[in-house]
Amino acid sequence: MTTHFITAEVNLNETNADLQAEIAAQLKTQGEPLRWAVTAVNEGVAQVEAVVLQDAETQSVT
Amino acid sequence: MTHRPFTVALIIPTGIGAAIGGYAGDALPVARAMAGVCDRLITHPNVLNGAQLYWPIPNAWYVEGYGLDQFAAGHWGLRSIHSNRIGLVMDCGIEPELRMRHLQAADAARATLGLHLTDAVLTDEPLGVTLKTSESGATWGTIANPDSLLRAVEIAIHRAGATAIAVVARFPEQLDDKALTQYRHGQGVDPLAGAEAVISHLVVRTFHVPCAHAPALSPLPLDPHLSPRSAAEELGHTFLPCVLVGLSRAPQFVTAVQQRHDLWRDAVDAVVIPETACGGSAVLSWSKTATPIITVSDNRTTLNVTPETLALQVTRAQSYSEAIGILAAIRAGVAPLALTSQIKPLSWVNLDT
Repeated sequence: MTTHFITAEVNLNETNADLQAEIAAQLKTQGEPLRWAVTAVNEGVAQVEAVVLQDAETQSVT
Repeated sequence: MTHRPFTVALIIPTGIGAAIGGYAGDALPVARAMAGVCDRLITHPNVLNGAQLYWPIPNAWYVEGYGLDQFAAGHWGLRSIHSNRIGLVMDCGIEPELRMRHLQAADAARATLGLHLTDAVLTDEPLGVTLKTSESGATWGTIANPDSLLRAVEIAIHRAGATAIAVVARFPEQLDDKALTQYRHGQGVDPLAGAEAVISHLVVRTFHVPCAHAPALSPLPLDPHLSPRSAAEELGHTFLPCVLVGLSRAPQFVTAVQQRHDLWRDAVDAVVIPETACGGSAVLSWSKTATPIITVSDNRTTLNVTPETLALQVTRAQSYSEAIGILAAIRAGVAPLALTSQIKPLSWVNLDT
């Protein structure tokens, strides 16, 4: 298992009411979210920074 | 008539350069004052930890950030306890002399404060902490050997009987780093904070026990321009005392069987946050409930995620003094607007929309 800093973007105009669920889903494509926050919003797009956990299997596909 | 306990969550995220709470436990005065107008104050290590300085607030609940996120989401509850047995987990990457300083700090907490600690555990590999500052200006961090940390914590819990975990990890020295100089002068962002949060989040996520972290660092050369906001971290050899005090009475997390006095998120009457830090998990969770969120604009951060950017409904305060006044009003059953000169006449509910 390793920890990695990642970023993601979520378009607020295309997100249903549950922004958190959308963020979680995006982050999960890169690992298991450990800590995250929306750190900026530019023109309706939320910038998300996060640290995720990746196991050996996850690392091999990212 | 007995009212339910008035409960407030005070959140000041770490590693985002908060003008109040972004340095060495410098939001502690806010917490002390706020605790005076509520029955329970739920807050987190970044607010209460001042390295060698601390202030045991009887009605404050010391809840680590990952646990606070789970609590805010309604996934976990909090259970008050009389005391925890604290397991000290130390990074084997810490030099022997510095390691000894931390053991002695832990012994001092036992002898002088009467805290209950189990025997310490050393990790089987150096944790390999790295620091990072992102584009947003926030600080983050990673650890190279998270499995080693988790193995050590498992021993502390299952073999030594710990019910809370204090982690001391070796952090990189940054003697010539501009960010460190700014931090010592009460400016910029705490370069260590993001990595500290990652360590405690990993432990809480895995074991569901209270956890907090203190970095191990060599003493810094004397700086005559040291800011009072950062000074608490330059009083001694370790940052550990505040962590041990906080953990000694930190509530346990409830993830399954509930008891009558367990606390869940619907017990929270108000949440107080910096105005530009609305994008955290706990805030977004509470924004989906009826719990009022009070934002404080004086507490600037390196971010600019305001309520407007995420369409959050909030009550605005300029300062923590004003926020505490709003809390006192809510507790007394007074509409905060009635304390201002801005009350407009009632109109009719629009039935056409």
